[in-house]
Amino acid sequence: MPITPPVDTIDYRRRQKIGRIVQRLVIVVSAIVLAAYILAPVSWLVSSAFQTETEIVSIPPHWIPEEPTLRNFEAIFSAGNDEPVTYETRSGADPAAGDFIPSTAENLLPSMANSLIVSILVVILNLLVGVPAAYAIAKIRFWGRNASVYFILITRVIPDIALVVPFFLVIRKLGMLDTLGSLVITYLAITVPFTVFILIQYFEGLPDELDKAARVDGCSRLQALIKVFLPLSLPSLVAVVLFTFLTSWNEFLLALMFTQTSASQTLPILLASFTSDFTVSFSFLNAAGVLAVVPPVIVAIVFERYIVSGLTAGAVKG
Amino acid sequence: MLFLAPVMAVLGAVAVFPIAYSLYISFFSIKLTRPNRTPFVGLKNYTDLLGDEAFWGAVWRTVSFSLVSVTAIAFIALLVSLLLNQEFRGRRILSTILLVPWAIPYVANALMWKWIYDSSYGALNGLLYQLDFIDKYMVWLGDQDKTLFLIANAFVWKEVPLATILLLVSLKSIPSDLYAAARVDGATVWQRFVHVTLPAMKPGFMLVMIYETMMAIRHFDLFFILTEGGPGSASHVLSWHIYVETFRNLSFGSGAAMSYLLAIATFALSYLFIRTLGRKI
Repeated sequence: MPITPPVDTIDYRRRQKIGRIVQRLVIVVSAIVLAAYILAPVSWLVSSAFQTETEIVSIPPHWIPEEPTLRNFEAIFSAGNDEPVTYETRSGADPAAGDFIPSTAENLLPSMANSLIVSILVVILNLLVGVPAAYAIAKIRFWGRNASVYFILITRVIPDIALVVPFFLVIRKLGMLDTLGSLVITYLAITVPFTVFILIQYFEGLPDELDKAARVDGCSRLQALIKVFLPLSLPSLVAVVLFTFLTSWNEFLLALMFTQTSASQTLPILLASFTSDFTVSFSFLNAAGVLAVVPPVIVAIVFERYIVSGLTAGAVKG
Repeated sequence: MLFLAPVMAVLGAVAVFPIAYSLYISFFSIKLTRPNRTPFVGLKNYTDLLGDEAFWGAVWRTVSFSLVSVTAIAFIALLVSLLLNQEFRGRRILSTILLVPWAIPYVANALMWKWIYDSSYGALNGLLYQLDFIDKYMVWLGDQDKTLFLIANAFVWKEVPLATILLLVSLKSIPSDLYAAARVDGATVWQRFVHVTLPAMKPGFMLVMIYETMMAIRHFDLFFILTEGGPGSASHVLSWHIYVETFRNLSFGSGAAMSYLLAIATFALSYLFIRTLGRKI
């Protein structure tokens, strides 16, 4: 007797097919919605940065610049030259139209340099301080090991705002207000726990035999760390460098308290000062915003793999 | 241990000492407007807070801001992580794009949303106007009922990526046998989601909730740039209150007392945080 599939099997197959189509549709639609949710605000910022001040105040707004211009960026990069470039001098615009570039615009590039210096110093100090500690906790049995881990983790969660008051008083007493040094030290404190945390997870994954073999071959602890462990832990080191860099580049609250002049102001501080100035032109402000956004976003996109592995290092059990 | 010494020295000097010092000065009345007289006042800074309406208002606003944002973050991150857990073309690109809000500095994020919410030329007004949802431009951040939600929206947008990545880890850890077994038992898609997926995501969820709550109750940057606590006191949250008390009223003693309370609240949360991580060390 030939076997014919019962009717409800055919029906079941068709239903499954429809189910798959619906599933695809749902995925495509939600993917588009998600992309729009993430990209729309950023595109608006970028689009505004390439508009002239006359265009930017049109109602309703121009979503895509009709006459794209680079003059906002020019203004930033040429600010501080002998002849100040303002919209008034260049295009004869009406100063009353809000076409105004703040006098502090010339501090923008120096503040980027400040941000860069602080971030790099913090990255280097983090590695110097964090790597040995993580190695010790992961590979050496000693009394108080658990306590050290908890201690380091707990310092990570102290809110900055709680540190600010005592820290301000101490820094003022030391005469370190308005120096890059005050930022380097405080940023070190807020980034080191995370560094140690990521590295512990990674070192623990490396076999203990490596450590023993290196020691039998006559390496000191330090040599074992430098010659055996560091080359093997490159991915986690990259993650640490990225996190530390981005945290320092983006930090605002502490910098707000400790910096006063262009000698130590970082990029976020200068940006914030523009936003509270009602005379600053919108197009200029957005261009400055774009400049602050571009470096970290490029770093994040290029090193995506390392960042995701770093972010999840704390979430998976060690 | 020699290897640990540098970390301990750094953290001791820059984290433990300030916290201890903060406790110490919270027992004094320190006002920079009167620098030569800093009398010991015991617990007065704390007891004063009990009857301080501005303080409790700020606490309440911090709690509502955190509740709203953390709920929204967890919900959106759940949807996004379910989406990114599927295989489809463009998934790689989408997960890369997802990192953009995470990487943007908070100050630039604040500047961006301030411009979006702008009452004269902002994108929100423009969009709603073009779609005919509003017939005239609105002063969004000037509306006391909406301010906290608008700031929460900017906060959520920035925090969703991290929450999503954390949730994805717990999604990926679900063995596919579980789904196969559920399917054999005749579970529908919804039943599989409720009985297999959700329970497996519980630790991830706890982590996201606690971590984001910690971030929300201490958040400062958006309040500073978007509203400065206004309009009126609509966005006058605790972190802003501490800032004003300390650096505008120059009253360091009571500022320290408040930041100490905030630190204790965070410690309590972080205890939960570490417990949830279930460290094996």
